[in-house]
Amino acid sequence: MNLYMGKMLVVDLSAESVTTEPLRAEWLREYWGAWGLALAYYTDAVSPEVDPLAPENAVVIMTAPLCGTLVPLASRMCLVSKSPHTGTIFESNVGGSFGPELKYAGYDGIIIKGRASSPVFLKIDDDRVSIECAEHMAGQGIFETEKLMEAAMGAHGAKTLAIGPAAENLITYSMIGSESYRQFGRGGTGALFGSKNLKGIVCRGTGGVRVADMARFLERTDHYTKNDLLCDDNLWAKTDGTPILVEVTNEMGIHPTRNYTKGFNGRKDRLNSDAIQAAKLGNRACASCPMACGKFTRVNSAEIEGPEYETLCLGGSNCEVHDLEAVIRFNRLCDDLGLDTMTCGSTISLAMEMTENGVHDFKLRFGQVDEYLKVVYEIATLSTERGRDLAKGAKHLAAKYGAEDLSMEVKGLEMPAYEPRGNFGMGIAYATSERGACHLRAFPIFATDPHDIDALVSDVVDAQNANSIKWSLGFCDFWGTINTTIEADLMSAGLGEAVSAEELDQAGERIWTLSRLFNLAAGFTAADDTLPKKIMERPLEAGRHEGRVFSRPDLARAIQSYYQLRDWSAKGIPSSRKLAALGLDKKTL
Amino acid sequence: MKKELFANPDLCTGCNRCTIACSAKNEGVFQPSKARLRVTNFPLRGFSVPNVCFQCPKANCLEACPNDAMFRGADGVVRLNRDLCSGCGNCVNACPYGMVEQNAKGIPYKCDLCDGDPACVKECHAEALVHAAGDAALFQLKAAQMKTRPQSGTPLEKRHKVAQTIKRNSRG
Ligand code: SF4
Ligand code: SF4
Ligand code: SF4
Repeated sequence: MNLYMGKMLVVDLSAESVTTEPLRAEWLREYWGAWGLALAYYTDAVSPEVDPLAPENAVVIMTAPLCGTLVPLASRMCLVSKSPHTGTIFESNVGGSFGPELKYAGYDGIIIKGRASSPVFLKIDDDRVSIECAEHMAGQGIFETEKLMEAAMGAHGAKTLAIGPAAENLITYSMIGSESYRQFGRGGTGALFGSKNLKGIVCRGTGGVRVADMARFLERTDHYTKNDLLCDDNLWAKTDGTPILVEVTNEMGIHPTRNYTKGFNGRKDRLNSDAIQAAKLGNRACASCPMACGKFTRVNSAEIEGPEYETLCLGGSNCEVHDLEAVIRFNRLCDDLGLDTMTCGSTISLAMEMTENGVHDFKLRFGQVDEYLKVVYEIATLSTERGRDLAKGAKHLAAKYGAEDLSMEVKGLEMPAYEPRGNFGMGIAYATSERGACHLRAFPIFATDPHDIDALVSDVVDAQNANSIKWSLGFCDFWGTINTTIEADLMSAGLGEAVSAEELDQAGERIWTLSRLFNLAAGFTAADDTLPKKIMERPLEAGRHEGRVFSRPDLARAIQSYYQLRDWSAKGIPSSRKLAALGLDKKTL
Repeated sequence: MKKELFANPDLCTGCNRCTIACSAKNEGVFQPSKARLRVTNFPLRGFSVPNVCFQCPKANCLEACPNDAMFRGADGVVRLNRDLCSGCGNCVNACPYGMVEQNAKGIPYKCDLCDGDPACVKECHAEALVHAAGDAALFQLKAAQMKTRPQSGTPLEKRHKVAQTIKRNSRG
């Protein structure tokens, strides 16, 4: 087969069995890869009512067709399951080199079911795949687990996915790490592995990915790399990486500061791209990526690949921690223990505000570094009462102490580092995302008018559809100028079959809509398409949009206009006309 | 002046575009395991080493060949004459840097500098790979990289040992 390996690995941990099955050819031109294809496999295997942490739940990990080739920024791989943190359908993706390695080993993806009776890891050495004992890895951090699995493979350079103690403790915002500093970060992917007693996966692949016509494929790849990717709009990734957003969002007045009290951080220069450059040892890249947006930094004895923007803000500004070394230590602890830095940072900033307001004394105060670092360990290991409280995430922490007005999440997922009062588009994106507050579905921060609801609704719908197919083809967010015409041309050259931009556009909408159907069947309603109380009621302080709220009536109007544009009912249910047009009318969930 | 291939690990991002491109050119498939250069990654330390064939002035692979199948071209590149090769694998064992391997049929393959137009260099956007006549700094870099010469182990093990020394010298 061209581009695809044509094979899925099916792992049933209860039955201790590993089998392979042919890739479902009839789904390829509807769902394409990664997100879409994983969603198709997942919804086929599992009912929306499933308990995410029960053995009946499945986890699907899926690579993308261009992954492993010379097409740049196309090697991301997706994990789809029901999230233990939100209860929604959830897609999380990771870069690095595991995806390509899995394809070189001969598989497009892995379906994981059941639960092992004791800790195990999965070893994939080309076509030799086995379930191995991981008792000696229990309780180990991600870095050590990766080392042990690599040793078990007996070959330097094997690629890894691993969980740490946070995931073994089933913390609902634990993550799966890969190659030390990359993650399936959000939504509790780690707890999914933890609940299956799966400590990790190690993979070595020596095979290759084929294309229809190598000369033509290389020519097209080179063309788009030179004339589209490596152009002014995208080069920030190469020069600065995500830390550039510290200045950008402050300038826009949408930089969350002090648990989303302010939209501007007066001490931003301690955490901005200049600060990162001053601490930088080198640039790091995912497989096949010429940008190398990862900045490897060291301050005193603390080193890490990162911190990325979300961590600089949610673990920095939003906790009023302006000490880069402390943020690096926070980041490294999360990466090793296995916590999502975004949810972890946001939950800590909530506890800080609750302490400062006298709601409950967690001994956590804005800007106080020692306790901020200590509590990360307490959360991951559940070793103290405050650790156990914070381990539940912002929504449950706030609910326990009656501080709902301070918790910054949508559908239970803590908000990313873009303030919706300063940009209503981000609010609409958070409210309507299938996985809760997320900036990777639509990202309208550069809109001409950040408060023009009608224009923003339409931007959000377009971006959600475009990103659904973009993630399904394994592309990275940072090829910001790519579109379905380029994607179709590259796919055509690789497959040796004509692929049109229109069918990719339609696939994007299909994937988005299928996610919606899953959430509706899982019990979510239009009432869940909302924003935190603070955003709707408390005026933003500091920065360009000081004094703004995203009021309930404004939000209600935005949501109704969003449903209309999608041809969904006033209750947010896709019309049968729309379902028929997308070929989803016969889909049973 | 003849051009050589130089690698600078301090600039390498670990992207593997070089190995993906090399395999595409030489094997017609995207298959880094068959590339004529390799990248040894140390993700935790944020460091990567491109392992390249040095086209050694005193080439162990060439000296070890009992059939004179390995020879040096006029351009200084060490090449294989397949017609003379018996598939004995002596060259694989002899290269201290792990830069010769055998394919499934026992035929060894190594870097031939793409006859003067290296595919890997074109894809290295970090400028960690340079194809140049070389200056004092580049020759010094190369000499330092050639110092560690593991005598035993598989090519992978040798490359790892060489890379580890380079990492230690750079990152501690
Ligand atoms: S294959 Fe090894 S011994 Fe032969 S020239 Fe290259 S580096 Fe030197
Ligand atoms: S010069 Fe050519 S053969 Fe040698 S490593 Fe580079 S791409 Fe491969
Ligand atoms: S292309 Fe350059 S930066 Fe990328 S792995 Fe190869 S040598 Fe390193």
